[in-house]
Amino acid sequence: MTTLTLPSPVALTTALDRLRRDRLRSLLTMLGVLLVVGVALPWLTNAYWTKTLTSALALSVAAAGIGLLYGQLGLVSLCQFALLGIGGWVALRMSHGWGLPFEMCVLAAGAVSASVGMLAGLPALRLKGLYLALVTLMLAGGFQVVITVIGFPDGGLGWLGRVEGSERLLMTRPVVAGSDAAYLRYVVLWLAAVLTLIELHRRTRAGRSWALIRRGEAAAMGAGVNVLLYQTWAFGLAGFCAGVGGALLAGGVGQLDGRAFGASESVMLFALSVVGGVHHWLGAVIAGLLLRAVPSLLTDYNVNGFLAMIFFGAALLHALITAQQGVAGQLLGLIARLKARFAGRAAP
Amino acid sequence: MITLSAVTVQFGGVKALTSLDAVLDHPVCGLIGPNGAGKTTLVNVLSGMVQPRSGRIEVDGTDFLALTPKQRVRFGLRRSFQTEQVVEDLDVWSNVRAVLDHVPHDRRHANAEVGRAIEYVGLIQAATTPGARLNLFQRRMVEVAKALVGAPRLLLFDEPGAGLTEHEALQLRRTLLGIRDFCGAQVLLIDHDVDLIRTTCTQTLVLDFGQRLALGPTHEVLDDPAVRRAYLGAEE
Repeated sequence: MTTLTLPSPVALTTALDRLRRDRLRSLLTMLGVLLVVGVALPWLTNAYWTKTLTSALALSVAAAGIGLLYGQLGLVSLCQFALLGIGGWVALRMSHGWGLPFEMCVLAAGAVSASVGMLAGLPALRLKGLYLALVTLMLAGGFQVVITVIGFPDGGLGWLGRVEGSERLLMTRPVVAGSDAAYLRYVVLWLAAVLTLIELHRRTRAGRSWALIRRGEAAAMGAGVNVLLYQTWAFGLAGFCAGVGGALLAGGVGQLDGRAFGASESVMLFALSVVGGVHHWLGAVIAGLLLRAVPSLLTDYNVNGFLAMIFFGAALLHALITAQQGVAGQLLGLIARLKARFAGRAAP
Repeated sequence: MITLSAVTVQFGGVKALTSLDAVLDHPVCGLIGPNGAGKTTLVNVLSGMVQPRSGRIEVDGTDFLALTPKQRVRFGLRRSFQTEQVVEDLDVWSNVRAVLDHVPHDRRHANAEVGRAIEYVGLIQAATTPGARLNLFQRRMVEVAKALVGAPRLLLFDEPGAGLTEHEALQLRRTLLGIRDFCGAQVLLIDHDVDLIRTTCTQTLVLDFGQRLALGPTHEVLDDPAVRRAYLGAEE
């Protein structure tokens, strides 16, 4: 004779409410932190740091895509910076060529990079780990060669939009964000939007499916997951993040230089995403800051910015060996411990 | 009801299953045999991960070999693996919901269905607990809950009791026995725990070297001298 526990509506409702509350609270926390950052940063920083942080947060948008691929699916993609460059190229071309509104340029950049990202992800259906990393790195290398030859559009005529023998034009910024301070806030808004998009994915069907694939493809197939569809979708979304980041970077600087888009930058962005933490949205923000703000900080103190590479190497080793949740995981752990300590003191 | 007709599986020169015939028609059936007997191969064949060289498989009258693995899941096949597959950074609720996402279900009642399965396995209080913080027993029960959502018709459990204490195994036993009443699905249970098989399954198939050694009521099968010799290691 079996003893069955009958479903209790009260327990069920309580569990569901608790789940919804937890998820809403973490989403609101993320948006709240970004809101504070967006409002406070332009007040606290000088012109140099406003520009530096704008670039850093634009790169954070791209790093969010790496967090998605590696953190959610365990896939190593080493072409994210190339996809960022593709997004920047598309945004500059559309802005200079057709004079489209900035937001349209950003979305078009995201869409094109998403398409290229999906193509780059096709080998993932057969390859994993080192082999996938190598294939995507080849794509980044290919982009490096192409962009060195054709350069980024700068207001000229023709399909490539290159200026011959006259002054290069800057990309037109959005009407609401003409100043550097306003543009920094504008980039934070895009960052918040992209991170929200990823968080919503993580909490719904797509995120659950990615988690099953990461746990084991056999188990995912056993649960009826369409592995092809969900992997391609993840590559597309990661590409979209890179494209948006590239467009925002182009808008911040006004122009992009092909020499800054070497394949090694994709490796560096991936490594710093791991250091920042790929399992939490905060990791993407930290990765962007590490890539742009730390070298600038060293330069501020008259230290060669290239020394940052050595620090990054040590940080990567540390993350791989002792802190696999990255800096974000360590920060969150510290906050949790402090909370527990204060709660313990407050208790009678 | 599972009907296996002359099912043969061959990996290179090794025959994992040899012309296997069996009709499993009890609510909870057991599948036992020594290591390498072909138990997991049979589960893989049923779930579509391994294609047999020849033979026919019907489940409730449906030609199973004509269905893709995904179609079999939509049909109502669920399986667990020897190593549990709980996702560590998803809570219990999401782990179960992840399975319901990919099978036909009424969206309006999706949460209620997940909740019902979680409550049935006794984890409703841990519904929001991440997989990483669950103990082995809780993980095993999450695997059972995952199999119970989305109108399942055939559940294949591959060693769900591995590593459980006596008390935990007792709870697992009660849970497995109640599945027929809970959702009407048939259960095929693989386990090396003979007590679990004896107390849970009314019909048992014994495999040895990929061939059928015995099939029938569990108590008769377990008392069969050939089974005792091959599987239980008893002297004649």
